[in-house]
Amino acid sequence: MANLQDLYNAILNGKLEQAVAVTQEAINEGISPTEIINQYMVKAMEEIGARFEAGKAFVPNLLLAARAMKGSLELLKPLMRDKNTATIGKVVIGTVKGDLHDIGKNLVASMFEGCGFEVINLGVDVSSTKFIEAAKEHHADIICMSALLTTTMMYMEKVVQAVEAEGLRDQVKIMVGGAPVNNAFAQKIGADAYTSNANQAVQVAKQLLAAS
Amino acid sequence: MTNSKERVWNALNHRGGTPVPVDFGATTVTGIHCRIVEQLRKYYGLADKPVRIVDPFQMLGEVDEELQERMGVDLVPLFGRKNMFGIDESEVHEQVTPWGQKVLIAKGIDMTPDAEGDVYIYPEGDRSVSPSAVMPEGYYFINAIERQQPIDEALLSYQDNLEEYALLNESDLAYWKQAAGKAAATGKAVVAGFGGTALGDVAFIPAMGLKHPKGIRSVAEWYMSTLIRPDFVHALFEHQTDLAIRNYEMLWNTVGDQVDVVFTCGTDFGTQDSQFCSEEVFRELWLPYYKRLNDWIHTHTTWKIFKHSCGAVLPLIPAMIDAGFDILNPVQINAKDMDSKVLKEQFGDQLVFWGGGIDTQRVLAFGTKEEVRRQVMEQCEILGKDGGFVFNTVHNIQANVPVENVITMIETLNEIRR
Repeated sequence: MANLQDLYNAILNGKLEQAVAVTQEAINEGISPTEIINQYMVKAMEEIGARFEAGKAFVPNLLLAARAMKGSLELLKPLMRDKNTATIGKVVIGTVKGDLHDIGKNLVASMFEGCGFEVINLGVDVSSTKFIEAAKEHHADIICMSALLTTTMMYMEKVVQAVEAEGLRDQVKIMVGGAPVNNAFAQKIGADAYTSNANQAVQVAKQLLAAS
Repeated sequence: MTNSKERVWNALNHRGGTPVPVDFGATTVTGIHCRIVEQLRKYYGLADKPVRIVDPFQMLGEVDEELQERMGVDLVPLFGRKNMFGIDESEVHEQVTPWGQKVLIAKGIDMTPDAEGDVYIYPEGDRSVSPSAVMPEGYYFINAIERQQPIDEALLSYQDNLEEYALLNESDLAYWKQAAGKAAATGKAVVAGFGGTALGDVAFIPAMGLKHPKGIRSVAEWYMSTLIRPDFVHALFEHQTDLAIRNYEMLWNTVGDQVDVVFTCGTDFGTQDSQFCSEEVFRELWLPYYKRLNDWIHTHTTWKIFKHSCGAVLPLIPAMIDAGFDILNPVQINAKDMDSKVLKEQFGDQLVFWGGGIDTQRVLAFGTKEEVRRQVMEQCEILGKDGGFVFNTVHNIQANVPVENVITMIETLNEIRR
């Protein structure tokens, strides 16, 4: 019988092969994807996120946990199609135009995914048009933008303005992050929230959606 | 009246009483973007000429003798013959950047954008292979293109990641001898970037100078390797350090004390509010190799050792001191817990702080002149007490910084140093 506590540990400790093996075993035994995700995967990602925030885990640990989680999720995704498996919310995420840095952004995306959100990851160098097209197409609840550079973070304001001009501002929350970004900047450009790490991003996203 | 070299050595030896020495352009992490160099030249009424790009990766412009004089610079660089892309720097040609600035850049680099507005760079300038770097439209510097091949754990060898490191030959040494002589003749202190000594620096991991890089070449894969492939990383660092010591022995015999400071490693251990590894991992994986090279340098040369690491590195500083580094740069004062008062108090007698003169993420880039002035005054007072401080901004001055703020910073420095 599949020991799903092993899945929790495998994701937490970043063991890809083990995570995949336990997930496959659980699937073979007919355990529901929702149970695997909610009871074990989400909890493991929440724990690694909390450790990261507390300075007890670091970027390499988070990358490994995300990789193990993704390996497991790849097996579960086909089983969830066409079933009314509700996600917490839909997130469109990308690094803004002119900026190619994606490690931090991908960690945030993985954390969202691992914690039960549906994630549309647009990659890097994303224009306001691409953000808006994706938000419309997927009926996104949240747009998440990342920038590592002082020279590119200003583009976030353009995206906020474009979202307003499209009349989408009431339907979508906007979150921003990245090394040079801070709370004051988020407020100044009219974003709904700034968070400094992947764990906080998930928590704040949940709060934003609960309040809306 | 002291000269540049005395000011620098007083700072390096933690002696007060002389004006704070100033660095702009002596390394690839204490430089100025070419766009700002052009604006500064204009402000100071210097000859209107294309700016020479000294580091195409970050598009840093040359701070030449005229500009050094205006900015009160005390240190000069000693750069290598080849740049990050393996392209020879001895021959340059005039190019226009995507933002319309005339520059002199290494001949192997063609700045003409493609139909999408992107500029591609090729390893060794060889356009018959895939590009190794790109300056996307709207960008002000260049980014690596990761060419990570599928990893076969059974075949993976540390030698795959050692390909870009080699023993120096006669011709390399002749270059360093000539270049060091020229740098030393300026009478300023000389900072050498001999290369080959950075352990696991993610700027080098993608190997933009190699045509067909093997091994671990993706930055994320590298970070994971520090945890899941420790034997691979140990073997790589071990062999890289062996080579580095043999090269440093030849370099010391060739240039001797014409060089004052060696910039050995730019591996970033800090993020904005955390670290890339625990102190335990740092001590286990990096410290033994750092210490071996640093001990060799201290035993055999007069060089001081410069370590660059961005970010919130406070928890790792004791281990960096144990590893034998003399100098810490860029002292990112706006990162978590990087309070200059605390740094100076706790480590000021063991480490020279090189940088930390002004925050570049907010104050220099977006602050008012008054904020710039106030921070420069404050940081010089705190970090400059009893020597142990070389003034520089926190990392390079970027393309978007208002030149008025740079000028205010220089004027404030001149006032302090009077």
